[in-house]
Amino acid sequence: MTHPTRRAALLTAGALLGAPGLVRAQAPDALARVRRDGRIRIAMDLGAPPFGMMDNRMQPTGSEVDTANLLVADLGVPLERVAVTSANRVPFLLTDRCDVVVSVFGITEERRRVIDFSIPYAAVASVVAGLPADTVRGFADLAGKRIAVTRGTTNDQELTRGIPRGTEIVRFEDDATSITAVASGQVDYFATAPALIEQVNQRRTNRPLEVKFTMRNFPYGVGLRQGEPALKAWLDGWVRTNVANGKLEEIFRRYHGLGLPPEVLEAARA
Amino acid sequence: MTGEFNLFHAGYLLQGAVWTLLLAVIAILGGGVLGLVVAIGRVARPWPVRLLAGAYVQVIQGTPLLILMFIAFFGLSILGITLPALVAAGVALVLYSAAFLGEIWRGCFQAVPQAQHEAGAALGLRPFAILRLIVLPQAVRIAVPPTVGFLVQVVKNTSIASIVGFTELARAGQIVNNATFQPFLCFTIVAGIYFLLCYPLSCWARALERRLVPA
Repeated sequence: MTHPTRRAALLTAGALLGAPGLVRAQAPDALARVRRDGRIRIAMDLGAPPFGMMDNRMQPTGSEVDTANLLVADLGVPLERVAVTSANRVPFLLTDRCDVVVSVFGITEERRRVIDFSIPYAAVASVVAGLPADTVRGFADLAGKRIAVTRGTTNDQELTRGIPRGTEIVRFEDDATSITAVASGQVDYFATAPALIEQVNQRRTNRPLEVKFTMRNFPYGVGLRQGEPALKAWLDGWVRTNVANGKLEEIFRRYHGLGLPPEVLEAARA
Repeated sequence: MTGEFNLFHAGYLLQGAVWTLLLAVIAILGGGVLGLVVAIGRVARPWPVRLLAGAYVQVIQGTPLLILMFIAFFGLSILGITLPALVAAGVALVLYSAAFLGEIWRGCFQAVPQAQHEAGAALGLRPFAILRLIVLPQAVRIAVPPTVGFLVQVVKNTSIASIVGFTELARAGQIVNNATFQPFLCFTIVAGIYFLLCYPLSCWARALERRLVPA
C-alpha cells in the first residue's frame, strides 16, 4: 500500500508516539488522572430511550443521564459526555476515548474478558410482550409467531437462543423502528424492555400488548478499562452508597416505573 | 416522555447537516487533490510509480469505507496516535475518494484516442502542449458525469462516520427519531436535507457539461 521507507517511518512514528502513550496509561491511574484533569469523560448513547435520549428541547434525559449526573456530583468533577452507540462502547473504552461507560452496559462474560465493570447499579429486564388473548407462558408457546426485536441487543440474543423451530424473528435497526413496527400493528409480539411496551401501547390503543413472560434480567454496571483498581474500588463504593440511600432506586423508578430488581440490591449489600 | 417533532429537533438535524457538509467538503477537496496524484501515478512513465498507484487503488477500493474509518479512528489509537473523530473520518474519506477519483480520471484520460496524441505530435506540438491543448480538454469533458456521480455518493457515505462517534445527519436523524418516535416525518426530513446537499452538485455538473461541450 505504501512505499517501504514511508511505512518504516510510519511505524517508527507509531512506536515513538505509542511509548509515551503506554506510560501515560499506567501512571497515574485513571482515578488520579480524572481528578488531576478535573473532568471525567463518560460515554453514553442518547438514542436509547428511556435510558438515554433527548427531550423536547434536545437536552439529554433518561435514567443513564441522571445516573451519570449523580456520579459526577459525587466525584466532584465536571462531566464530559462522549457520544457512543451500543456497538462501539468497548472500542471507545479500550482506545482511551472515554474514562467510563454509563450506557446500559450489560455485564457479560464476553465483555469481562476485555474490560472491567463496577458492581451492577441497575438491571434491564428482557421480556416478551404479546396479545392478551393468547396464552403464552414461555418460549415453547412462541412457535409459529412473528416476534419483533431490535437487532444485536441482549433481547435479540436471548430470543434467538430461546425460540422453538418455526418462530419468525423480525429484526429492526433501533428501538424507535421496532416500536413503530409494533405500534402500527405489523407485528404483534415484541421482545424488549418493559419500559418500551408503554411506548407501544400509547400508540396502539385498539389492541394493546401485555408482558407475557420475562426471558431474563440483565444487570448492568459502569464499564471501565482493566487494571484500574483505584477507579473500580471508587465506583463499587459509589454504587453501594447510592443503592443503600435509595438514590439509584429513585432514578430507576422515575424512568422505568419499577424498583431495582433483587439481584442488584443483593450485589450492593454483599 | 417523548414529544412531538418541534423546532429544537429540526435545529438538531440542521446541526448534523452542517457536519455532513463539512465532511463532504473535506472528502471532495482532499480526495480531489490526492486523486489527481493517483491518476497521474497510474499513467506515469516509471513502472514503480504505476505499480504503487495501482496497488493503492486496489487496496483502498477493496476495503470497505467502514473499515478504513475503524482503522483511522480505533486502529491508530492502539499505536498511540489519537485522532479526533473529525480528522479520522476526514482522513478515511479522503483516502477512499482519492482511490475512486484517481481511477475515474485515469480512465477518462485514457479514453481519449491515441490518434489525438499522434495528431498533436504531427502538428509539431511539444508533449506538454499536447496534454494541455488536446488531451486534457477532451478528458475533462468525459470525466464530469462519473466524477459528479461519485461525489454525490461521497456526500451520502459520510453517514458512515457515525461509527466513530460523529453525529452527522444520519446519526442526528436516528437520535431525533428515538426522541420523537416519528420515523416517517423524521427520516423524510433527513432525506430532504441529503437531497438539498446533493442536488446542487448535479445542477453544477449539468452546467459544466453544457459549458464544456462545444456548441
